[in-house]
Amino acid sequence: MLKEIFESFDSEVTEEFLELLLNAMRISYVFNKDFRKNIEGFEGRYLFKSRDGNITVAAIFKNGKLNVKEKETGNTDMTVGFRNAKALREFIFSPKPDILGSILRQDVVVDGNFNYMFKFAYMAKHLQLMVTGKA
Amino acid sequence: MGAVTLKDIRLNEYNFVNLPLLKQLRAGLLEKKPEVCIERARYFTKYLEKAPEEEPAELRYANAVNYFLSEKAPLFFDDNLLAGTTTSKTFGAPVYPEFATGLAIWPELDTISTRKKNPLILTKEEAEELNFDIYPYWMKRNVLEYTRKKHGNPKCMRIFERIVFFLATKAGCISHTVPCYRVALEKGVEYIIEDAASREAALKNEASLDDEKRRKVEFYQAIQKAMEGVIAYAQNLSKEAARLAEKEQDPTRKENFLKMAEVCSQVPAKQARTFREAVNSIWIVQVAIHAENINMAMSPGRLDQVLYKYYKEDIDKGALTVKEAMELVGCLWLKLNDNTNLVPETAEELWGGAGTVPAVTVGGVDENGEDAVNDLTYIMLRVTELLKTRDPSLNARYHYEKNSKEYRNRVAGVIVNTKAVPAFLNDVVNVEVLRNQGTDLKHARDYAVIGCVELGVPGRSYDASSAIMLNLVSVLELALNNGKRPVTGDEQIGPVTGDPSHFDSFEQFWGAFKSHFVWLAGKAIELNEYFGRVYQEILPSPLLSAFFEGPMEEGNDLIFGGAIYNSSGATHIGFADTVDSLNAIKQAVFIDKKYSFAEIKKALEANFEGYEKLHAYLVNKTPKYGRDEPIAKENSQKLIRFIYDFYQRHVNYRGGKYRPGYWTMTNHAGQGKLSGALPNGRKARQVFASGITPVSQAAGDLTTSLKMIGGLESICIASGEALNLKYPSVPTEEDIETLGQAVQAYFVIGGLHVQFNIMSYDDLIKAKENPEDYPELLVRVSGYSAYFKDLNEAMKDEIITRTAYDIKTGEAVPFPEEYKTMLAFE
Repeated sequence: MLKEIFESFDSEVTEEFLELLLNAMRISYVFNKDFRKNIEGFEGRYLFKSRDGNITVAAIFKNGKLNVKEKETGNTDMTVGFRNAKALREFIFSPKPDILGSILRQDVVVDGNFNYMFKFAYMAKHLQLMVTGKA
Repeated sequence: MGAVTLKDIRLNEYNFVNLPLLKQLRAGLLEKKPEVCIERARYFTKYLEKAPEEEPAELRYANAVNYFLSEKAPLFFDDNLLAGTTTSKTFGAPVYPEFATGLAIWPELDTISTRKKNPLILTKEEAEELNFDIYPYWMKRNVLEYTRKKHGNPKCMRIFERIVFFLATKAGCISHTVPCYRVALEKGVEYIIEDAASREAALKNEASLDDEKRRKVEFYQAIQKAMEGVIAYAQNLSKEAARLAEKEQDPTRKENFLKMAEVCSQVPAKQARTFREAVNSIWIVQVAIHAENINMAMSPGRLDQVLYKYYKEDIDKGALTVKEAMELVGCLWLKLNDNTNLVPETAEELWGGAGTVPAVTVGGVDENGEDAVNDLTYIMLRVTELLKTRDPSLNARYHYEKNSKEYRNRVAGVIVNTKAVPAFLNDVVNVEVLRNQGTDLKHARDYAVIGCVELGVPGRSYDASSAIMLNLVSVLELALNNGKRPVTGDEQIGPVTGDPSHFDSFEQFWGAFKSHFVWLAGKAIELNEYFGRVYQEILPSPLLSAFFEGPMEEGNDLIFGGAIYNSSGATHIGFADTVDSLNAIKQAVFIDKKYSFAEIKKALEANFEGYEKLHAYLVNKTPKYGRDEPIAKENSQKLIRFIYDFYQRHVNYRGGKYRPGYWTMTNHAGQGKLSGALPNGRKARQVFASGITPVSQAAGDLTTSLKMIGGLESICIASGEALNLKYPSVPTEEDIETLGQAVQAYFVIGGLHVQFNIMSYDDLIKAKENPEDYPELLVRVSGYSAYFKDLNEAMKDEIITRTAYDIKTGEAVPFPEEYKTMLAFE
């Protein structure tokens, strides 16, 4: 199932992209020991907001788990404002993580510690490669 | 005083046939694929994770340097005569996690080895080590994030992170300086340790230690610790060379290992006794400096002067031949190519291709103002001519009253034969520029190039010369759009200065332009000051400080202003496009009254589509920088003077003034790709002109162009300028002399710097279309050299479209009709 989700990201990007991605990550942290190692001892609070206000998702990493909430959260380490789901996908991983390019194109506006974004993008890309057998 | 004893200053009898070692090493270098090296990041992280947080920063950092250098693997990859490697890879890109670029490749750890543009090999194991063991420690500890936290993500930082306004390079490094090796060569690193220890003891003997004295004590302790690391590394090299010699069967290699073992047991701990020891001492010190400071424009300086004493002594004793000296210099040149930068993929696409730009400077005058050209100058020129490698970035100083015509023409000949290097620098004017900045005459005469074109006094001035890279076109666009830019949409970025459509005079627009410049450059300075103070808190440079005059005497690290001279450099991107746009506005709106501001703005928004007549007028009928046109002359001089006056009013965290410059590396291509159409007729997302060079194809006559550029007020260009010229070919000796004469004429007028590409439009177009056929094609970018194949597409186009001049007539060669769509205004 995860493979299908990630492969679908290559062809079409729907508004559910972020939700699907975060859920795929959440499940993978639970069931994949190697992937879980990425968040052992890691605490990070991310807020993703679409520019039209339709999507607001908080991703909170704590105690080796990822919690996803569809509402704003305080004390974020990184807030990511994005034009649309496609822009967010380009930003995070497909076909390559293009954080700098997305910022330059004004597709994504970030506020906070960039290193949190780099880590998140690595985990998303790594998971994509793992489940599609390319890692 | 220069001393030239060579019968043939061209050294034509030396080539790859009788210098097979250099041929072999060069071939090996060009075959190498760059690899990410995590060795330094590993040891720094290991040490700092365990070190007490309360440890004073000087000692903490020095201890980390010591730990790394002591643990650093002593490696011998090839038959190079010099011991020491910058990284643990044959061609390594070291990770410096304390700087922004170190962690920026985190998202690419799985893909960096296979990425399209300039891939860097990274093993799975090392990627995991970065991901799990190294990067997590640095997430909140690198200079960028430390600054953000300390200052609450200030607006200046958020403007910087939009990338299209200015780059504040301290997020990624300071480097950009020229240390001096003389103490290490003449007395040895052990002497530096003894000196620091005795100063520490003297302070400790005082009855009481206030905070300042305690800080000095810590600084002296830190120097000792860092220097002990340097010696430990050299000793490890010596032991490993001896071990390898023992098992080596090949007699030549065995002898080389034995020699290296002997050399490294002597230097840099003790004074250098021979030319070989001196060269290897410099190289080990250079490696050690990179243990502390990132590999970006850490420039070796005037090596023909520093090494001459050792060369001459050995030659006079019969202990060295010219051929052997060439081999050793060649080995150093190749060693300087053993590392590259760690750059994320998008940055490669926008700005890629730059090396680490260690600049070597030769020729010119000595501290007494006399001809300093010597045999070693010519040896270094010949080695450069043979090797044709990206680094070191070679710069030839030229004093048209003191240096000989033969020297001038020899430099011109090397440029023609390499097609790109070295660059020429004007000794007469550059010394005046430094004098105007308060530099002592003797010191000014000893200047060397930092990285691209900036001037430093080796071991005496700490210039951080690329602290700010400001996009002048962004200032222009803010003025055109009342504080907004097309690329950043409707967001109010700068101050509200009014809609130019309502301006009654050019002076009003110029006033708006100045307001935006003051605001933007002010933000860049504010951020540089924040970064500088963060370096003082967490990233001091005790090791580098030991190779400068001042820190030891004052007990003060370079980062606190310990050097004799201090400054921060701010270079400017898009100078010619900005000047031409100012010219166009003045001519079109206020003199000819041909088009209103509102019409021009609409045309810019449409990228001139539907405004072809207006576009043709702007391109063909408005004054251009580089031509003999009063408006262009007035605007270029006014802009240069205004920028200079602004920066000179600002003093940095080390007590030195800000200095403006006009060199752009590859930023004029990258920033051009991110900018809208301009009033000079340049279309959206096209490259800007490089450095201080006129817009490509704008200046049809070279002599006129050089008169205008050379006529700019040179003292206002205190952090250097890069003028890029191109000749399709320089086929005869007479033509080489013509090139030399053109340089001299330009320097007499007042030009500071000039560099060349000797290539035709067709040559470069072919190289772009068939990169595999031109793997070694070397080009000058804007102050440094690069392999053409490594550059991004925009940068390749910029070099292709640069105006080419006929060497005999000085007139522009027509650009090929079928490729005219490459031009920025087509």
